[in-house]
Amino acid sequence: MATGPYNYSYIFKYIIIGDMGVGKSCLLHQFTEKKFMADCPHTIGVEFGTRIIEVAGQKIKLQIWDTAGQERFRAVTRSYYRGAAGALMVYDITRRSTYNHLSSWLTDARNLTNPNTVIFLIGNKSDLEAQRDVTYEEAKQFAEENGLMFLECSAKTGENVEDAFLDTAKKIFQNIQDGSLDLNAAESGVQHKPTSPRNALNTDQAQNKEGCGC
Amino acid sequence: MADKEQSTETLTAASQPNNPLSRKLNKLLDTRLDNDKDMLEALKSLSTFFTGNNLRSRRSLRSDIERKSLAINEEFVQSFAEVNKQLESIYKDVHGMSECCQDMTSRLKASKEQTRDLISQTTKLQAESQKLHMKSQVVDAFLAKFQLKPHEVKVLRGTKDGSLHPDFFTALTRVKQIHNDCKVLLRTNHQTAGLEIMESMALHQESAYERLYRWAQNECRMLSGESPDVNNQLCDAMLALKDRPVLFRYTLDEFGTARRTAIVRGFIDALTKGGPGGTPRPIELHSHDPLRYVGDMLAWLHQAIASEREHIQALLKKCPAEEIEKQTVDILGHITEGVCRALKVRVEQVLVSEPGSVELYKLANLLQFYCSTIGEIMKTNSGALLSTLNELHTLGVKMFYNSLHCHASKQMEKVEFPPPDLGATSALNKTLRLLQDILSSHDNSVVPLDTRREHFSQILGCMMDPLIQMCSVSASHLSTVDMATYMVNCIYLIQSTLALYEFTDQRLEMLQAQVEAHIDTLVSEQASFVLNQSGLAYLFGTVQQHQPKQGPLSAIQGMDPATVKTAMTKFDSYLSSPDVYVMPQCALLLSTKLRESVKKRAVGLLCQAYQQMYTAILGPDNKYPNPNALVPRTPDQVVKLLS
Ligand SMILES: Nc1nc2c(ncn2[C@@H]2O[C@H](COP(=O)(O)OP(=O)(O)O)[C@@H](O)[C@H]2O)c(=O)[nH]1
Ligand SMILES: [Mg+2]
Repeated sequence: MATGPYNYSYIFKYIIIGDMGVGKSCLLHQFTEKKFMADCPHTIGVEFGTRIIEVAGQKIKLQIWDTAGQERFRAVTRSYYRGAAGALMVYDITRRSTYNHLSSWLTDARNLTNPNTVIFLIGNKSDLEAQRDVTYEEAKQFAEENGLMFLECSAKTGENVEDAFLDTAKKIFQNIQDGSLDLNAAESGVQHKPTSPRNALNTDQAQNKEGCGC
Repeated sequence: MADKEQSTETLTAASQPNNPLSRKLNKLLDTRLDNDKDMLEALKSLSTFFTGNNLRSRRSLRSDIERKSLAINEEFVQSFAEVNKQLESIYKDVHGMSECCQDMTSRLKASKEQTRDLISQTTKLQAESQKLHMKSQVVDAFLAKFQLKPHEVKVLRGTKDGSLHPDFFTALTRVKQIHNDCKVLLRTNHQTAGLEIMESMALHQESAYERLYRWAQNECRMLSGESPDVNNQLCDAMLALKDRPVLFRYTLDEFGTARRTAIVRGFIDALTKGGPGGTPRPIELHSHDPLRYVGDMLAWLHQAIASEREHIQALLKKCPAEEIEKQTVDILGHITEGVCRALKVRVEQVLVSEPGSVELYKLANLLQFYCSTIGEIMKTNSGALLSTLNELHTLGVKMFYNSLHCHASKQMEKVEFPPPDLGATSALNKTLRLLQDILSSHDNSVVPLDTRREHFSQILGCMMDPLIQMCSVSASHLSTVDMATYMVNCIYLIQSTLALYEFTDQRLEMLQAQVEAHIDTLVSEQASFVLNQSGLAYLFGTVQQHQPKQGPLSAIQGMDPATVKTAMTKFDSYLSSPDVYVMPQCALLLSTKLRESVKKRAVGLLCQAYQQMYTAILGPDNKYPNPNALVPRTPDQVVKLLS
């Protein structure tokens, strides 16, 4: 299906941040490929993946930038916060140190993104309940205190992964609709592709359904 | 009459007629009156007038019959006369009719003669009409297949405002189809028609493509916003234009140019304006922080290129996949060409502003990282942007090594004297700090391991030799022992710095060899020092050089038992407190381990020397009286005392 990936009305840019090994790349892979990649190679610098989702009847292309958590790449990855409409901040529920570092990641996120960037906290590896090192309640409280959205997910089982990405998009879309996110401003992290009256949206959708390739 | 004949024949057939009588009789016998109707009729009719059978009547019968017959005949004649008259009248009528018919026939004939032409003409016309009808059907079918409908012509001709009718592409496909079908015509004997239609279709096609091209070009020109609206019609246009590679190319160029404008504007905005309400802050606001400034620019470009890729793919979504891939590389090259200048000017400015070796090193690494990252996303290693990045990387590397050379030659310009403690000069400390900073950032470098290893030997090659050279120059006025001590100290400090980092084993080994050489010097100096201090130096020298032909040792001047005795007593006092006899330089060695090692190896040398002297003095050839009193300690005892 060749036409599919190109029909969308918005592009949202996301950035995934957090310590090395918390499962950022696995989350991205689970979301874009719907598969768990157990032996995911270390991320070198920055990589990105895309997927089209639908929010309120609108097709939105997510452009998700996955950064390396290693300290030596921090100088590089910091530069990628600028263009983000959404930031997924990930820790590993089985490693308290990754949770303890959240405030430093959050400081970066707040300082380097624009004020409307939606920050979503993800406690990953929820499948490893036996090794849990950070309770749901304390993370929930941290999220509330800092005005973050929050979910515990598992890149392995896929639990809540869709929701984390979709809820972020819904929030961004809501910001667009209530006018708090200005699409015309540069570096808002959102690109709008208005569908012209000459070719109504339904043509696109019809093509999508047929899956016509050309 | 017929009857008669018949009876005659019958009779003949019945029997052979021998005599007339018998014949007659037979005939009579055979006559069957009741069967002979004629006879019955005749008899009946006879009964009407033959009323009395008498002679007279019998005689007159014949005449009667004849009279009767005559009367009948007369009556017959009379009747027939009437009939005849009638017949004659009929005849006259028939004749008249015949004449009439004849007349009609001849008239018909004439008229037939006259209409024959008409009929044949009509038939001919009819046949022709049928033929024409068929032709008309064929022509209709032909026209339907080989001509455009007026609507289609109108659609192709386009509207005044230059917009494209939704049926445009269907009409264009028709024109193309007709043009193609004409090739079939050319193979038949309708070549003229084929050629003419082909020509007309070619004209339609050309003007349609021209119109489409102008339209698409115009659409593309307007796509210079941050997020271009690539509509479906434009995608159809790109697919259609693929048949005209030149126009296709030009349209893509137009698209590329529009996007190039967009990306340049976006880049400049990000540099100078930043995000909505100034957050994120404009990139140029960080120009005082070279790494962040350059990093932000390159990351912005990386992300912008990823988006431009998407836009190109949206534009070409209806074209075949391999076409998309092929074109994407080209157009991306074109689009990104625009930002090269803005990027180059700024990064060059940073690189030449002497941000310091460490920053330069980090910048060079960052540039190298982006050469490969951006090359990956653009799927090529060529193009203006990549060569700009490569140039900048090369410049960064050059500026980095320049700064190292600069540092080295500055150090060589005015070499400091070693301090009294023979430790590091401030120049050495400074260089070591620099090395440490570079190697630390080297450890954190974003380039791959192999590249880092390569950089490493280059950096060390660049820094180590001048550093060692500087130390040697600075030590050139020192005594041998001071120089060795100083060099060991310097190299030891360098080693300690290098040991903290990866890929340094080889260098450390080379440095270790240099240390060993200087340590050897110190060891032998320390041994000589003890021999000198204890007065054994002369004694040992003589023993070493003594040849049997010179006679016994005890006879040589300065080797008499009394002198030997004095020296040995002095040596004995050394043995009781060996630490007093240590060269002051040895104490200045920074490394405790090396200090100990020098001491130990010097002791080893001393023990060997003592062994030699002990053997010589005890030797009977050397004629010492009571030699055991001269050297009361055995070499083993000496070793034990000193270890
Ligand atoms: N059990 C479990 N393991 C996970 C999960 N997500 C990631 N991992 C493992 O964690 C390791 C690090 O994952 P990766 O995605 O490379 O982390 P990154 O450095 O944040 O990108 C890998 O070995 C994964 O197999 C998860 O949800 N459950
Ligand atoms: Mg990763």
